[in-house]
Amino acid sequence: MIDVRGLQKSFGSHKVLKGINEHISKGEKVVIVGASGSGKSTFLRCLNLLEQPTGGTITFDGVDITDPKNDINKLRARMGMVFQQFNLFPHLSVKENIKLAPVKLKRLSEAEADKRALELLSRVGLPDKANAYPAQLSGGQQQRIAIARALAMNPEVMLFDEPTSALDPEMVGEVLEIMKELAEDGMTMVVVTHEMGFARSVGTRVLFMDEGVIAEQNDPGEFFSNPQHPRLREFLSKVL
Amino acid sequence: MQWLDKIIASLNAALIEGDRWKLYLRGLGKTLEISAGAVILGILIGVIVAIIKVSAVQKRVGGNCGVLLRAGEWLCDLYLTVIRGTPVMLQLMIIYFSVFASMSDGTLAAIVGFGINSGAYVAEIVRSGIQSIDRGQTEAGRSLGLSSSMTMRLIILPQAFRNILPALFNEFITLLKETSVASVIAVPDMVKNATNIKTKIYNIAPLYVTALIYLVLVVGLTLVQKKIEGRLRESDRR
Repeated sequence: MIDVRGLQKSFGSHKVLKGINEHISKGEKVVIVGASGSGKSTFLRCLNLLEQPTGGTITFDGVDITDPKNDINKLRARMGMVFQQFNLFPHLSVKENIKLAPVKLKRLSEAEADKRALELLSRVGLPDKANAYPAQLSGGQQQRIAIARALAMNPEVMLFDEPTSALDPEMVGEVLEIMKELAEDGMTMVVVTHEMGFARSVGTRVLFMDEGVIAEQNDPGEFFSNPQHPRLREFLSKVL
Repeated sequence: MQWLDKIIASLNAALIEGDRWKLYLRGLGKTLEISAGAVILGILIGVIVAIIKVSAVQKRVGGNCGVLLRAGEWLCDLYLTVIRGTPVMLQLMIIYFSVFASMSDGTLAAIVGFGINSGAYVAEIVRSGIQSIDRGQTEAGRSLGLSSSMTMRLIILPQAFRNILPALFNEFITLLKETSVASVIAVPDMVKNATNIKTKIYNIAPLYVTALIYLVLVVGLTLVQKKIEGRLRESDRR
């Protein structure tokens, strides 16, 4: 589904990604872990071109998204993204947040979008918050709305950029629970996170990034019980 | 009570005699006409200039700032420098005598002149507003598949507008009062008419009357601002 070849990204003279090759198949739940500064968020943000790669190609469903001739807006509409800071639109109510993209991009009529928004709100367990504004919600609730907003476009893959890192500890669970349900429904997911429990229980594959490359990857069982790379061992000994 | 009689006599000469109050009203009409036209033109110019400048900066960071955009940015900078660097009275006279000289009435010249002038200030206000919005808002919009112009229109500008409302109204209030300069290009606005009456009756009462009308207008504008702010505050409820 997503094929990454020789992906490089530099900010000025600072090389963040130093050639990444990776293939993500439909239905996979790929969890990316690594120390801060290892390039994992940059890698994820390259997948929907929020960061413009400086080298290599990214192919999504057979289309090279790094080719400027391809309409990136159409491609992005097929990939949902959830951010560390939620990034809900504060001037819009919860329902309007969810409806905005499907209605403005003419995917759904106003009435269909209304219905869809309420369905999604029930799905993330917040059916009574349709008319609330983001500022009235807790961090965990905001992130669940952000997931609903991304799902409203019926994406084929969901990208999560440290979705629980900005949350108070007691709210992490409710967001992970929603993500877990999403995974069980068969969604293709790429998740950058520090939640090792989530990586172990939900991930189908775990990638360890170090200094701009994927230093090691494995299925969760092997990844955590039998790490090979010395940097991964060091990393796991610190976080587990 | 001689002073009171004097005041009443002055006001009588300034307002009642010869139905002079109509002149103030007509002047007020002109003042409002020029102000409203200039505000609309100023907002149009200001928003466009601000968006060009912000996009140029963003694209440059992204490393793909096109020639057209760079030329646009250069033009905007030139515009801002010239307009903010010269007195509005001169700008008005230059526009009137170079473009609109064939018209006996300078109203259109005044609208265009003040609009162009105000646009420069509005542009900087709007730019500050756009830049006050977190980058995550743009990213969230783009990640949903919205184009950059849709993201700007639906997500960034509404939030920016809220943040810049006080500064924007400051500009409108200044503009309203500044239109009195239009008398230099023979526009019969409120101040022009008042000075004419003053000359005729040898008395400065018309100036007081005009000042009072401006004061009422500005207080009214301030009330409008408060009303809009109140309505926009809805999403702040916690």
